[in-house]
Amino acid sequence: MDQAISNQDMKEVDAKKIKELLNRRKGKMKRFLSYCAHCSLCAESCFLYMKYKKDPRYMPSYKVIHSLGTLYRKRGKVDRKCLNEIKGIVWRNCVLCGRCYCPIGIHVPSMIAFARAVLRSQDIHPQHNEASSESWL
Amino acid sequence: MVDFVQGPLISIAFIVFILGLLFQWIQFFRLTRKKEWGHPPLPREIKPEKKTAGKIVASCLTSLKGTLWKTDPVLTVVTTVFHVLLIGAPLFLLGHNILLYQSWGWSLFSLPEALSDGLTLIVLVCGAYFLGRRLLVARVRAITTLYDYVVLLIAVAPFLTGFFAYRQWFHYETVMMLHILSGNIMLITIPFTKLGHMLFFFLYRFFLGGEYGFLRGARTW
Repeated sequence: MDQAISNQDMKEVDAKKIKELLNRRKGKMKRFLSYCAHCSLCAESCFLYMKYKKDPRYMPSYKVIHSLGTLYRKRGKVDRKCLNEIKGIVWRNCVLCGRCYCPIGIHVPSMIAFARAVLRSQDIHPQHNEASSESWL
Repeated sequence: MVDFVQGPLISIAFIVFILGLLFQWIQFFRLTRKKEWGHPPLPREIKPEKKTAGKIVASCLTSLKGTLWKTDPVLTVVTTVFHVLLIGAPLFLLGHNILLYQSWGWSLFSLPEALSDGLTLIVLVCGAYFLGRRLLVARVRAITTLYDYVVLLIAVAPFLTGFFAYRQWFHYETVMMLHILSGNIMLITIPFTKLGHMLFFFLYRFFLGGEYGFLRGARTW
C-alpha cells in the first residue's frame, strides 16, 4: 500500500490528458462554473458544513470552485501538490450524497464527480490506509 | 463619445444582448439533447389526488419550510425583490417609456415617477445588502473574488446613476452619460458573464431533469 502511495506521489502529471478530459465536458462544466453567483445559499444543504461548525470549506460552492474551478482556471496545467489538495476537497470534504441545493439550479454533485474522474486519470485517489474517523472511507 | 454612447451604442448593446441570449439558449438545448426521466411523471392510469384550494395553500406553505425561506428568510426576500425590480423598475419607468415612444411610436405602461424613484432606492438598498454580505459574512467572503464586486457594480450602477440623474445631483450631463453607458454595459455583459444566471435560472429549473426542478424536465447534459 505504501508503494501505491509513493507511486501516486512520484508519477508525473499528464497535463495533456487532464486538458483533454476537461475539454470533453467543457460546455456544461464551464457554464455551471461561470453562472455560479457565489451567493453561498448552498451552504446549509451540506450536512458536512453543518457538522463542522459551518466551516466555509465544506460549502458545496467552495468545494467546486477550489477543485474543478481550479482545474479549468489553470487549464489542466497543475502539479501533483495541487492535485493532492483537490483530492482532499473532493474525497474527504464531500461524500457525494447529492443533497446539495443550488437556487440557480447548478448541479454540484456532477461537478465533484467529474473532478474525481480527472484525478483518477492521474492515479490520484484515496487509499485504504488513509482512512480516519472523519474520512471518506 | 457622447453621441456614440447615446446613439449607436444603445443599438449595439440591445443587439448583443438579444443575440447573446439567443446563442446561449441554443447552446443549452444543443448540449441537453439527451433525455432521461430522472423523476418520471405518473402513469396515466394513476390519477393524482384532487386537492381543494385550502389543501393546495396548506401544502404550498408546508413545502416552503423545505426551501430557503426557512434557512435564510431575509436574503430570500431581498434577493426576490432585487431581481424583480432589476427588470421591472426600468421597464416601467416614465423616462424610458417616453424615449421608447419617441423612437418606435409605442411604449409600455409607466409607473408614477415617485414610485419608480422609491423602487430604485429599494434596488440600491438590496445592492448594499449584497455588498455587506460579501464583505462581512465569512462564508460569502470565502468564495468572493474581485469579479463578484465588479458584477455587483455592473448590476447596480445603472440604478445608482439613474437615482443621481433624477435628483440632478452632480453634473447632470455627465451622470446621464454614465447612466446610459452603465446600462449598455449591463446589457452587453448579461449573456457572457455571471449575470447570465438570469437566463440560466429558468433553463436549469424548468428543463433539466432533477429533484429540485420546478417542472419535471427530462433534459440531461
